[in-house]
Amino acid sequence: MSALPALVLERILETEGVAKNRGCLLSGLGARLFRASELPSCAAEKVALPTAVPALDRLLPGGLLKGSVVELSGRRSSGRFSLGLAALAAATSAGQAAALVDLGNHLDPQAAEQAGVDLRCLLWARPHRVKQALAAAEMLIAAGFPLVVADLGLCPGTRFLPDAVWVRLARAAQAQGAAFLLSTPWRTSGIAADAVVSAAQARPIWKGSGRAPRLLAGLDTRLTLEKYGRVTPRSAISYQLSALSKDDSLGRLTADS
Amino acid sequence: MPRLACIFVPLFPLAARLRSEPDLKGEAVVVVEGNGNAARVLAGSRKARLCGIEAGMTLPQARARLPKLTARARDRESERAGHEALLEVADGFSPRVEDGGDGVVYLDIEGIPGLSAAAVASRPAAESFQPDESELQARPSSPFSDLSRSAERVLGQDLIAAVERSGLPARAGIASSKLAARVAAGLPDSPRVVSPGEEAEFLAPLPLSRLAPEIEIAATLERWGVRSVGDFAKLPPGEVESRLGELGRRFHAAARGLDLRPLEPRLPALSLSEGMELEWPLVALEPFLFVGNAALERLSRRLEAQGLACRRLELILKLDPDGCDARAIALPAPTLEVKTLLTLVRLELEARPPGMPVMGFTFAAHPDKPRRAQLSLFGPPALSPDRLATTIARLASLLGADRVSSPRAVNGHRPERFASAAYEPPAPPEIARPPRAGRGLLAVRVLRPPVELEVIVDGGGRDLLPLSLGEGRGEGLLVAPFRLLSLKSAGANGASLEIAGSVRIAAGPWSMEEGWWSDAPAARDYWDVELTEGGLYRIYRDRASNAWFADGIYD
Repeated sequence: MSALPALVLERILETEGVAKNRGCLLSGLGARLFRASELPSCAAEKVALPTAVPALDRLLPGGLLKGSVVELSGRRSSGRFSLGLAALAAATSAGQAAALVDLGNHLDPQAAEQAGVDLRCLLWARPHRVKQALAAAEMLIAAGFPLVVADLGLCPGTRFLPDAVWVRLARAAQAQGAAFLLSTPWRTSGIAADAVVSAAQARPIWKGSGRAPRLLAGLDTRLTLEKYGRVTPRSAISYQLSALSKDDSLGRLTADS
Repeated sequence: MPRLACIFVPLFPLAARLRSEPDLKGEAVVVVEGNGNAARVLAGSRKARLCGIEAGMTLPQARARLPKLTARARDRESERAGHEALLEVADGFSPRVEDGGDGVVYLDIEGIPGLSAAAVASRPAAESFQPDESELQARPSSPFSDLSRSAERVLGQDLIAAVERSGLPARAGIASSKLAARVAAGLPDSPRVVSPGEEAEFLAPLPLSRLAPEIEIAATLERWGVRSVGDFAKLPPGEVESRLGELGRRFHAAARGLDLRPLEPRLPALSLSEGMELEWPLVALEPFLFVGNAALERLSRRLEAQGLACRRLELILKLDPDGCDARAIALPAPTLEVKTLLTLVRLELEARPPGMPVMGFTFAAHPDKPRRAQLSLFGPPALSPDRLATTIARLASLLGADRVSSPRAVNGHRPERFASAAYEPPAPPEIARPPRAGRGLLAVRVLRPPVELEVIVDGGGRDLLPLSLGEGRGEGLLVAPFRLLSLKSAGANGASLEIAGSVRIAAGPWSMEEGWWSDAPAARDYWDVELTEGGLYRIYRDRASNAWFADGIYD
């Protein structure tokens, strides 16, 4: 049933004072009438792919949803590249294949290996343009990769991309049951993303002060869940990333808000 | 006594042409050989023959009878590809196959009909071979059982069906000699089975033209009044030999059903090829890809029928007026997907156009076994090797072969270093395991190539020094301690990545030196820099050129 007859029928029911209770008072077409808010949440039915990043796994219950698009947005030095690598590390350490579409050719394989990525399981695609990146992501999803991370770099030209691109990607992820993490400097995927997390208010952590030598110790970033399914939860978590591979004091969840 | 089958494609030049251009099926078409008005009809379709067009007519004569007649030049490339396809069908039935020339294939079927005897028994009676009553009366005591004959007939039907699936019409004959099998295959009621030892009886009522005698012998025999094969076989062999010579002796033996030529099996082909000669030269890419798509589809079907996939594709272009252009396209893994192959061909031709009109083409596929994977019940799902290979090929065609790989760590100190290898993921674990706990490391977004910077430093009591720091240096090192004040990407407006701002905190320098013994040494001083406007960068000063660069962003 199209939207317009449904709205007309609902208005008639309201004016007639008929309580809208599906399956009880109405039969036939009316029994199939329900509000959008009553729709079962797609996200609730999906299985999650853990990222092994406590903050992300808490914001997105269980991790990245399989069969959906999760958008992670954040400006430079917001920590989103590190979070993408962490998701790849979690998937590949579990023996799963994963793909990284790296628009800016930014991956440092040594650092990725140090972060726990099994490089043998990782397919690295390095497109030149954003359209190529999205086409490559769609191909990789269709190939059956359980996790595809598309990092659109620092300044992708997404302004002129039609919305249909994101819908296609969402449909492909849904059809294949793949988790698709889209990492962008700003929100681009519109309504196609099932979950949107923004990384902002990042603050570098330095060791040493005054005349003592300085040392970059890490980055404190704030992850905000801006969209999840059809709701806008606006919950946020601070998360610290360590620049020192042997420093155990960082790299863990620090505070909830 | 051996049992041989012969597959025969009637009007082979026309059949091969129609296989390349299936749209012409059902039309009045002739294949001609020669140029202009001297072109003569080699073969015509049924519709053309019904209008009175016969082989040997000139094209104007044929057009006079049917003005809307479609004429095609004889295409040797299509014929070669069609004949290869015919041989491959035969290879699917028997390991011993002989190439009998254009549209003719012999195969040794010894033992094969026995395999289909069960199939015969299970078939409905209406489908089974029911010998004629006259045939039964003529051979009441034949040791060749009805079941064997039925099994061979079923095999013949299967052969015809398989050849027709490859796009060619076919007839089949089964006998104990190549000659009898070939003659049986030429008869319209196909498949025709000749029982062992009954070749002479089978040939006797047939006209002499079925044995395709040489012209001079045919003329002599006609003067003698010999019309059928049986009449000729009744003549005394010695007399025939004394009058017609060695040729006559062989022809007489053939008429008596004696053919002692053994089957000469061919060696299997190392590559499969498809192609055609074009009616007119092509100069644009799209029309070429249109006809190339059909050829690649046929090639893919042939590979699939043999359980193979294409590992390397060779493209040979016949150029106008002469010359040829050959090129090879290596695939990352065997694939059967026509779309991928066509995309690779498109990219290859776009990158290196042949430069002259194309008159014909051949695609040659070097086959390999497609990769297979064993799926796990309890572990994570493995990627389908075939789909993965196809995807990698398509990505390589989209991005470039060097832009799709699996990254590898490399020993060294330069942060931008990396290596890559072909993506061949290990088999997933048999039992799903949980992911390892995250290490929460801050990663660096490497800038390739590094962004050149203009850096302002505080020279320790002296004036602020712009980028050129040569005054304060000795032996390539800064003499006095200094402070980074601000940085800006060189030519910021035109730069691909804009970096500009005042330095809030800087940590460094850390020296790095590598490859001093090589032609491209690296000697750098690194800083980690936080800008007041936001952004955490890794920058370095190249000691050799005294230039500043940003080669990473902590992100």
